[in-house]
Amino acid sequence: MNRRTAVLLQSLVVLALFVVPSAAQDEEALRKDLTAVIALQGLPCGQVVAVEKKAESDYAVSCKDGHLYRVYLNAAGRVVVETRK
Amino acid sequence: MVRYTGVLLLLLTAGCASVASVPQAAQPPVVATQAAPTQPVATPAAPTTTPPAPKPAAAPVTPATRPAAPRVAAPREPATPPVVAAPTAPAAPQTLDLNSLEAQLRATKAIGLFTKMSLKNKVDDLMQQFRDHYEGKTKRTMTDLRRSYDLLIMKVLSLLQDADQPLASAIVSSRESIWALLSDQNRFFTL
Repeated sequence: MNRRTAVLLQSLVVLALFVVPSAAQDEEALRKDLTAVIALQGLPCGQVVAVEKKAESDYAVSCKDGHLYRVYLNAAGRVVVETRK
Repeated sequence: MVRYTGVLLLLLTAGCASVASVPQAAQPPVVATQAAPTQPVATPAAPTTTPPAPKPAAAPVTPATRPAAPRVAAPREPATPPVVAAPTAPAAPQTLDLNSLEAQLRATKAIGLFTKMSLKNKVDDLMQQFRDHYEGKTKRTMTDLRRSYDLLIMKVLSLLQDADQPLASAIVSSRESIWALLSDQNRFFTL
């Protein structure tokens, strides 16, 4: 392993160390956000445990209690929560 | 190679440290929902030498140092009237106008983007209900509107109180003034 490869490897390790926690935090923030949105609509959920992005501002959400929702922003600018089957 | 291992371990430690410091926002769950001025509890002072005078008007009390002030003013002498403790209690309730409130709600990081949009939808709905009420388009009474308003405020507070306590307190402080604005037909239509 020459010196250049070692430096590159180090950089990648540093990048991974900082990027992975940041992505995890973003994911957690999104879950909390969607949990709050569903709760604001008065729908049962408990806590969002899984999120799948379908499109921009359009998410398929799985709740801890088993409920499934689609949360999206419609053309009128309203946040809509729909039950999924 | 040993040097690389050392650097790697150091970086791993640094990475762990940065992750661990993240949930600091959820640290103070002690915060009550109401921002009412806390009563200066007259805790019996320690059996040290009693202060000669209970430091009248200690200083402009900042919120961070508020708990310290009442302890100093603990009335140890029964004969002296407790005149001193009273002036420190009111914490100058700050009231907000709607624009300021809206700006702070937009800026806060305590609420996610989707939640903010959802809240805005709810605020718009409530405003429409007021509009309909004043234009006689609905049978909804002012009591119903007050209930809806209180519910919305509660929702906002429940979202804010753990992560942005100052803003939550500000909303509590301005709650009645906002209601006064909404419940006055003339002022409402100037909004």
